Amino acid sequence: MAAIATAFGLIFDPFVLMVIALSAMFGLFVGAMPGLTATMATALLVPVTFFMSPVPALGAIVTATTMAIFAGDIPAAMLRMPGTPASAAYTDESFAMAKKGQLELNLGVNLVFSVVGGLIGVAFLIAGAPLLAELAINFSSFEYFWLACLGLLCAIMIGTGDPVKGFLSLFLGLAIGCIGIDPAAGFPRFTFGNVDLMSGINFIPTMIGVFAVSELMRGAVTVDEAGHMVQEKVGALFRGIGGVTRLYWKNVLRGSVIGTLIGALPGAGADIAAWVSYAMAKRFSKEPEKFGTGHIEGVVESTSSNNAALGGAWIPALVFGIPGDSITAIVIGVLYMKGMNPGPTVFLENPQFIYAVFIIFILANLLMLPLGYAAIRGARRLLAVPKNVLLPVILLFCVVGSFAMTNSPYGIVLMLIFGVIGWFLEEHGVPVAPLILGLVLGELLEQSFMTSMIKSDGSFLMFFSRPIAGTLGLANLAIWAAILWKVARNHRRAGVIEHADT
Amino acid sequence: MRLSDNWLALIFIALAAVMIGMTTTFPAFPGQKYGPALFPRILGTGIIVCALLIAYRARQRRSEGAVEPALAFDPVFADRTRLVSFLSIPLSVLAYLLLVDRLGFIPTAFLLLLGLMLWFGVPRLRALAVAVAMTGLMQWFFGSLMRVPLPRGLFMQLVQGG
Repeated sequence: MAAIATAFGLIFDPFVLMVIALSAMFGLFVGAMPGLTATMATALLVPVTFFMSPVPALGAIVTATTMAIFAGDIPAAMLRMPGTPASAAYTDESFAMAKKGQLELNLGVNLVFSVVGGLIGVAFLIAGAPLLAELAINFSSFEYFWLACLGLLCAIMIGTGDPVKGFLSLFLGLAIGCIGIDPAAGFPRFTFGNVDLMSGINFIPTMIGVFAVSELMRGAVTVDEAGHMVQEKVGALFRGIGGVTRLYWKNVLRGSVIGTLIGALPGAGADIAAWVSYAMAKRFSKEPEKFGTGHIEGVVESTSSNNAALGGAWIPALVFGIPGDSITAIVIGVLYMKGMNPGPTVFLENPQFIYAVFIIFILANLLMLPLGYAAIRGARRLLAVPKNVLLPVILLFCVVGSFAMTNSPYGIVLMLIFGVIGWFLEEHGVPVAPLILGLVLGELLEQSFMTSMIKSDGSFLMFFSRPIAGTLGLANLAIWAAILWKVARNHRRAGVIEHADT
Repeated sequence: MRLSDNWLALIFIALAAVMIGMTTTFPAFPGQKYGPALFPRILGTGIIVCALLIAYRARQRRSEGAVEPALAFDPVFADRTRLVSFLSIPLSVLAYLLLVDRLGFIPTAFLLLLGLMLWFGVPRLRALAVAVAMTGLMQWFFGSLMRVPLPRGLFMQLVQGG
């Protein structure tokens, strides 16, 4: 109990509350701007939070991403442009509602059920994480090796349409992670005698490059395109919400649970949760023929789902140090920078910090109601910020932020190189999320692999000798089988599925 | 810009081969079977296998009559203005890197913002105002508040007479 009291004390501090309020506004803005994603918001926040202590730093990230995922729904309904990829699944449906004159109902539903979904996701996080941590405390290198493998495999299985290119991206990320001092023997690898490379590939400038600069390069081509707003005035938002709740409460629950689960699976985040939930809603609906014509049912389920996914993603991140999505991948990088190794020991040594994360999550979701309401009211002015001003400003922000991470031009060089690499890979249908996961998990994977190899003297059977390790190992093999089946099936269909990047 | 799958595969095979080649110079530690070379070698092999699969699929598509040019350009880039817009992002970062030590952060950041905004068609007065305000904001937030050692360069020397 003392830890919970400490956590409250940590959060209800004027500075922390100010950081939360500012990052809420930042998140709403970034989320509402088409082309700027929640992941990008996180990557841009890191240089700003770099000098803060862990609680305000994490508070900023949690709040900004929570707001951004909701705010993405606003331009989806108003301009038919999803503000973040997480709203893409129901953009057409929302826009169709707006055209029918139901913009208020749509935005009201999005706001209220984003909050509800978010809170249900947090409830799962609060209930599930400590239980799993208790289990994880006994894990040895074998379990961690299999967990890391499982995380990476999930990322490829769920997050990409083409497993071959997913694996390629993953191996590239792991290989890039090898640059620097090797974690087992301390030998400098692939450094070409360069001092900067000896310290390894700094994670944050890399993320800023892959997620922000490559996006700016794509955005620069379409800088003159703007959406058309159907309706400029917004009326009463919460009228009709009660009726929707009575009719579709099952959808809210199902969306939230599925969203949390998908969020918790490594590599799949809010965007995939929304797609799956939208498909589920249609599949189980009594009136599937209405989907696509401006029907609220699918919106209810998927808007609950994508916000629930945010909380879900923190479960494996906090318990195992394995990110549930790209946002928590950045969070894990931040935790390492702050000298806190994410994993079950944090629950024992710094429980007040875990509780603080829980409280911030609840607070952020509750704050979303008034702030989201204000954002919808001010949406016309918010969406009028011209892209041609925004792009250069964000670019300068990326440059300064990357510089601040290394205090040298090395950060900017990394950002530029990975911006171009990220763009090049996506241009060739190679997804970038596995590369980032590989980069984050590389050290854990190599360390647990090398330790296990040395312990078992090279015998693979030892990897299955402990009960949990054995189960995890079998789960890995099952996913391998599923991936091979998927590849073979794609192959039979002759032709590669071109998968839209997530 | 899109390379054909064959060229893509070739690039990655070459990269992985170089990587594996470099691991042969890594030391082995006496008494330990598994050294720093093991993990990169596994990864290199993984990259090569993926690349071969990509090339194999391309070959299958060709045998079914599909034609893939070695290098294809997005039709968007046929428009010269859009091509320059696209290149302006990485090139302005490069220019920033080359100039910032000599000029200092304030003038370089200002020029980057102003140049890009004018190119993207922002009205002149607004571009000027945003560039001044944003440069100031970044210098204040990162330079003063966060104590990031932003390059001072010629500009600050002139301002401070040092």
